[in-house]
Amino acid sequence: MLPKCFQKPLLAVALSLSLGGLANAELVVIVHPSNAANIDNTQVQRIFLGKEKKFADGSEATPINSVASNASREQFDTKVLERSSSQVAAYWSKLVFTGKGIPPKELENDAAVIAAVAADASAIGYVDSAAVTGSVKVITLN
Amino acid sequence: MKKIITLGVLALSSFASQAELRINGFANLVGGLTSSDESLYGYDDNMSFNQESLFAIQISGDINDKMTATGQLVARGDNDYDPDFEWAYFTYAATDKLSISAGRLRLPLFTYSASKDVGYSYHWMSTPESVYNVPFNNLDGIRFDYSTYAGDWEYSASLSAGTFSGTAFGADVKGENVLVFSAEAAYEWFKIRAVAGTGKTTIELASSTRNDVIQLGQGLAQMAAIGFSDLANKLLLEEDTGQFLGLSAQVDKFDWFVSAEVTSVTAEQSFLADTVAYYITAGIRQGAWTPSITYEKSKTDDDIKFGGEIAQIATSGLPAPVVQSLSALAVGSQLFTQSETNVLSATVRYDYDTNIALKADISKYSDDLNDANDATLVRFAVNYVF
Repeated sequence: MLPKCFQKPLLAVALSLSLGGLANAELVVIVHPSNAANIDNTQVQRIFLGKEKKFADGSEATPINSVASNASREQFDTKVLERSSSQVAAYWSKLVFTGKGIPPKELENDAAVIAAVAADASAIGYVDSAAVTGSVKVITLN
Repeated sequence: MKKIITLGVLALSSFASQAELRINGFANLVGGLTSSDESLYGYDDNMSFNQESLFAIQISGDINDKMTATGQLVARGDNDYDPDFEWAYFTYAATDKLSISAGRLRLPLFTYSASKDVGYSYHWMSTPESVYNVPFNNLDGIRFDYSTYAGDWEYSASLSAGTFSGTAFGADVKGENVLVFSAEAAYEWFKIRAVAGTGKTTIELASSTRNDVIQLGQGLAQMAAIGFSDLANKLLLEEDTGQFLGLSAQVDKFDWFVSAEVTSVTAEQSFLADTVAYYITAGIRQGAWTPSITYEKSKTDDDIKFGGEIAQIATSGLPAPVVQSLSALAVGSQLFTQSETNVLSATVRYDYDTNIALKADISKYSDDLNDANDATLVRFAVNYVF
């Protein structure tokens, strides 16, 4: 039997380990480190659906998407855009074939998205939190 | 030598940076057949792939930051897959909210007007014919599109002006001074839309591929020659005002959706009966599957117009056979355009991939004025976008 004072930290370590495992599959939105705009869920949704072309501070926003085969993409479509990937494709097909919009550029994987966001002050993308590097700024969505 | 190569590379790269070309496309491969001895939408009881299949390529390029040129080349099965530039227009993004397009473009009459040909974009086999089958889908002219949002509501409006040409009763239809206004409001899962349009419309009966329609034109010419030019002019659709009204509502809760659209087409000073058409559709989304049902109805007004003028034929003192045939023509031409039909469809869509959908559909068509036209149609489709 361990003294009581030892039990708590152990429990905390165990908890943080299991949470850490979950957090590996967590999706985060990323922007250029210089981007100071306030960004919420609705804005991310509007930017990625082509309804909004600027951040809240008036600066230009360039959404960077992931290819459909990337696991982050499906998670982003269902959680943030609140549609299935097929529905998002159907949504864009309506806009593309009427000249009303151009879907965001799609990159091959999380590393490519991070590189693109790090290189462009107007860029906004999303990746698995485990892939995040110091070259981009993470936005916490509610 | 080295210098030339460098220059060549420079020229290439600057060309590429100025005009980024985007190539997109869509295709619908639709096969269908009716039950024995029936026909519907061009299908009969032999399997056919030519009625609704189409392949389209769209090329668009940015001329500068604000201007884009778009061309859409469509090859339709019912036109022997001869490619046609159905759309070709310039778009100028005046502001983030306002864009102006000019050229040949889709007239935004219906909720699904813009993507009518893109089977991938909706849950149906094709947009409900009872409502969407009008002879004026494309506009040569200009369209202003405005969109904005306030809080959780999104609003958009469009104003279109120009001319159209199409076909009805196998005859050429032309529209001039066309003006269409549409407005839409959307809140998360709810969308409502209203549209109103007007245009000076003409049907050239003599150009028809149908004998009965050509004869109708000749009959009306004789009516005018005999001295009833006032009535003949009223019956003919020649630069007469046509009106279009539409209203639609959509509820989409992701797991299920329901929507309805109603339209009214009128051309008061003509032999054409006023038409009201609507559909109501509902479906559920279960993983990759989207089963849905749709009920459509189209009904014309059954009044006979110009009763006063028609009565004058009887009191004109002309020989009885002439009176009879003129009256029959005045009434018959109007009865000719009367119809009352409905369609009940069950459709299932399967999302095979993020750019490919497979569909199957069974539609039961009923003609309330003539049972002989009733038909049951089964269709299968592959829809593709890239």
